[in-house]
Amino acid sequence: MNDINSVREQLLSQLESLEDKKQILRANELRNLYGAIKDQPESERAAYGQAVNALKQELEEKVAEADAGIDDQVPIDVTAPMDANAEIPSLLPTEDGSIHPISREIQIISDLFYRMGFEVSPSRELDDEYHMFTSLNFPEGHPARDDYDTFMTEEGLVAPAHTSTMQNRIIKARLDRVKSGDPIAVLAIDRVFRNEDLDARHEHTFHQAEGVYVGEGITVGDLVGTLKTFLTGYFGKEVDAKITPFYFPFTEPSFEFSLSCPFCEEDEYCKVCSSERWIELLGCGMIHPNVLKEAGVDPERYTGFAWGCGVERLIMMKYDIEDIRHFNSGKLTFLRQFK
Amino acid sequence: MKVSLNWVKEFTSVDLSTDELIKLATERLGGIESHDDIGAHYAGIVVAKVISCVKHPNADKLSLCKVDDGGAVKDVARDESGYVQVVCGAPNVKEGLLVAWIPPKAIVPASYGEKELFVLEARDLRGELSNGMLASPRELGLSDDHEGILEIAEDVKPGTEFKTLFGLDDVVIEIENKMFTHRPDCFGQLGIAREIAGIQHQQFTSPDWYLGSNIETKTSEVIKGLGVTVEDPKLCPRYMAVAIDNIQIGPSPQWLQGYLKRVGVRPINNVVDITNYMMLLTAQPLHAFDFDKVAKDGNAQIIVRRPKDGERMTLLDGKEIQPHKDATLICTPDGPIALGGVMGGGNSEVDEGTTRVVLECATFDMYNIRRTSMAHGIFTDAVTRFTKGQPAAQLPAVLAQTVKMFEELTGGTAAGEVVDANSDTESNKPVSLTATFINERLGSSLKVDEITSLLANVEFAVEAKGDELVVTAPFWRTDIEIAEDVVEEVGRLNGFDTLPVTLPTRSIAPVTPDAARELKQTVRDVLAAAGANEVLTYSFIHGDLLKKVGQKPEDSYAIRNALSPDLQYYRQTLTPNLLDLVHANHKAGFEEFALFEIGKSHNKVHGTDDEDLPGELNMIALTYSHSTSSEAAYYRARCYLDHLAAQFGFTLEYSAIDPGTDFPVTKPFDLGRSALVTIKEADVFLGIVGEYTAAARKNLKLPAASAGFEIGTDHLMEALKKQSGSQYQPLSKYPSSSQDLTLQVPVDTAYGALSAVLQDVLSTQEYRAELTPLSVFQKDGEATKNISFRLTLTSLGHTLTTDEVTAVVERLVAAASKSSGAKQV
Repeated sequence: MNDINSVREQLLSQLESLEDKKQILRANELRNLYGAIKDQPESERAAYGQAVNALKQELEEKVAEADAGIDDQVPIDVTAPMDANAEIPSLLPTEDGSIHPISREIQIISDLFYRMGFEVSPSRELDDEYHMFTSLNFPEGHPARDDYDTFMTEEGLVAPAHTSTMQNRIIKARLDRVKSGDPIAVLAIDRVFRNEDLDARHEHTFHQAEGVYVGEGITVGDLVGTLKTFLTGYFGKEVDAKITPFYFPFTEPSFEFSLSCPFCEEDEYCKVCSSERWIELLGCGMIHPNVLKEAGVDPERYTGFAWGCGVERLIMMKYDIEDIRHFNSGKLTFLRQFK
Repeated sequence: MKVSLNWVKEFTSVDLSTDELIKLATERLGGIESHDDIGAHYAGIVVAKVISCVKHPNADKLSLCKVDDGGAVKDVARDESGYVQVVCGAPNVKEGLLVAWIPPKAIVPASYGEKELFVLEARDLRGELSNGMLASPRELGLSDDHEGILEIAEDVKPGTEFKTLFGLDDVVIEIENKMFTHRPDCFGQLGIAREIAGIQHQQFTSPDWYLGSNIETKTSEVIKGLGVTVEDPKLCPRYMAVAIDNIQIGPSPQWLQGYLKRVGVRPINNVVDITNYMMLLTAQPLHAFDFDKVAKDGNAQIIVRRPKDGERMTLLDGKEIQPHKDATLICTPDGPIALGGVMGGGNSEVDEGTTRVVLECATFDMYNIRRTSMAHGIFTDAVTRFTKGQPAAQLPAVLAQTVKMFEELTGGTAAGEVVDANSDTESNKPVSLTATFINERLGSSLKVDEITSLLANVEFAVEAKGDELVVTAPFWRTDIEIAEDVVEEVGRLNGFDTLPVTLPTRSIAPVTPDAARELKQTVRDVLAAAGANEVLTYSFIHGDLLKKVGQKPEDSYAIRNALSPDLQYYRQTLTPNLLDLVHANHKAGFEEFALFEIGKSHNKVHGTDDEDLPGELNMIALTYSHSTSSEAAYYRARCYLDHLAAQFGFTLEYSAIDPGTDFPVTKPFDLGRSALVTIKEADVFLGIVGEYTAAARKNLKLPAASAGFEIGTDHLMEALKKQSGSQYQPLSKYPSSSQDLTLQVPVDTAYGALSAVLQDVLSTQEYRAELTPLSVFQKDGEATKNISFRLTLTSLGHTLTTDEVTAVVERLVAAASKSSGAKQV
């Protein structure tokens, strides 16, 4: 313990003379103390470790104090529209400005669905397990519920992995509507999160457009027709669609939805679909009766469909963007290409 | 999931070409990732008979062989009898042997998957011509055996294409595993065969043994007892085992190795190969323990339990682990012998000395197996299958058939009792529904007998009465519980591609737009048109970045399983992540820019919302930065904010900030050079605008000229709701008059206070008045400063005279003089 005290004295005196106070946290003496923890006799190891941590915390506080003490500049008259002896400030030229490609695309997609009769809803970025899993028919113990796939907070809250986290709320808020004979038609489009490593094709943060449609006599055919209509509008050309079997806990039956590649030129190699001619685009299905029941809808009488589509993927296809990480990079060289 | 079409065809007929089958399977079963024509790897290779075999004249270890291929291979040098000379180095080559001959120009099968294909040629070996080679099992890609050449025991004619042996004339397709999350049966060739029959609308019938369970056991001198205790049936719903005596361990026959190899499983020995074969066929994993390693005095006692504190074990692969606390362990009274459902233990492994085994056939809790597998990072074929939930009802049939294979291929005999812990398995409950129910959901018009036949093809029991159906799924279909599950099954087997595509009908009632979305869109358009760049930054933030701007990590919601410290915390406000982008963009050559983000933030200071969840703060933040200017950037940021407010018809009031103010949103700002902002018309607080603290500027390498704002979208929304009526003013028929006015005031007079006094005066005038700021002039060291305005007056009734304007100016000067001792200059 003595050596900790002597190192403390030494570091505190060094701190006085340092220009950049933060450097003290990188001092070799401190690092050596950490290295020495494992060499302590087992009976003293815990106490020693705590003492080293306490010293580090003390130094951090001192650094923070020093930071706070850096002289802020002289106050100015914040009630004035301009500085003394200066011109009236102006805005930057319009041609410098840009709208983020994801915002723009969300707007385009939302507008299309809006015209098709869908309301548009945001989604939460911090939610509870009930909305993210239980209300969506994920059984207890389902792999998605453990934290290998989904970000969880210390408090047991969830960073939603899909905007379906809003589905129960969306339906519940519109029960009167569906009972009066009008369908529920809502697009929840917002940010979602998955516990994934970053690379050119994978992001832990991305956007999803989830559609929910509930009414009387709604069929699988309606699901395919609705998505096909949207995609034809979105790509500005007639596309073909097909569904293949899949599995999700919250839909039954569940499908993978593919569209005929809208970028294919006849006889030329297509980069987008590798000349497969079909693009697997999204997951969808008929809303599981347990999900409807949980939201207060009688599944014997009403049926509905839902889908979830990644927004980044659509944009990357449309603009031929090579790396998904550009979207959150804040690089002006990227952003200013999207006026 | 690799599927051998030859294997499948043993159970069902396929009348389609491979391409057609793949298309149909993709539409009705699951995505096919790839397909591999195994037969093509054996092109040109034929069975040949060794006619003569003599020592190579110039090499001790080589033999000079003449082989007869029945003349099957063209373009090869033959002797007068039509035989071909091949030099062979294998010790087991001898006259009369049937061998696999790879002739010149053919490819060595084992080289598929290597960097380069190995194409043979006729070449001179120590002075003798060798036409291709006689191949070992390894060279043929059949097994790892390279001790000698393959000896073909089958009764075939020389010249027979080699690929017709051992089922090698096969196509292996790979179906995406994720398609079968809920289909344990589809992880066996048998289950896939059933599906392939079903999607072709053919009747499938499971082999008799799959529905049987008969095991005949004999008494054994050595095997005295076998007992199983399952401590927690939740972990292990059913555990069957039987001991097998008199095993002769050795390599399994070539045909069995062939099945395994084709679907990517390495043959090991007959015991292990049989258990793997049965798993590949039925999806039910099995495990064989060496009886003598787990028994005491001829008595094997198996206990299925959770790990004890500090317990360790060594697995088959030699890795020592401390089993995860929730793991299921297979143990003897002495300790663990397997990590249940995941991997066997090293201490009970079958080896070349094994003569007796305990054969385990059990089911485990699928979620428990997944947790254990993830915790230890072990992903075996057994894990893949157990994590889909194998049905307990399947065990007796699989165990019985496995015992039969042991009898046939190892000479072993089942001894003692067949143990069955928890033999009560629940059978599937009948599901009642109607054909109408199905058609209403699919949009189809299937008749009752069509539905019945689709389901009966895959061995569902269906009772139909009028429109009503009672459907009972066979035991291997653990996924059929409710009517909607049957809807899926019918739709899938019939083909979703056959359904009519329709659009829902709806009323013409207009949709209510989302006001918040429209507001954000307007903000976005306005700021972008004002030369600012919209960015998106993560909703998460590194703990260091929080500290750099003075925010406290403990005010953030913390992610407990973040992969990177960048994602440690939820951001408390938008500004820190924006500031983090500034330096890099300056470095990239951009001298002056404004970045903004419209997004959400969360912090614990803010409290919870009406759902008792963390309040989601909808914020708009902008940061302006100039890398070389020395101007006070505060006024730039304020200019953006004024501009934005003006688009909504609002004017803003800026007030100095009390130095003690302390919220997450104010933390990055230098309070002496920042202001709190209020919307005047609605009296709604909006947010903060200002320059950043010296610490933040230093820590994030921000230039001197940097400033920004962060405001609440919801506050702006609230103000918009309060906005009432039109703000339109009718035009005057008379011209406006302007006059400039400069007031000299004490240096500490706030512009806002002065301007407020002037506005008060103007509000009592009968004219429309507008006061525009022109400049603030302040000489260094002087006690006063000059503030200039332009006053513009308009009357609705007449053209204003100079005297009238001057009179207003005089009233302004008088009021200013009274409030702050101003003098007109």
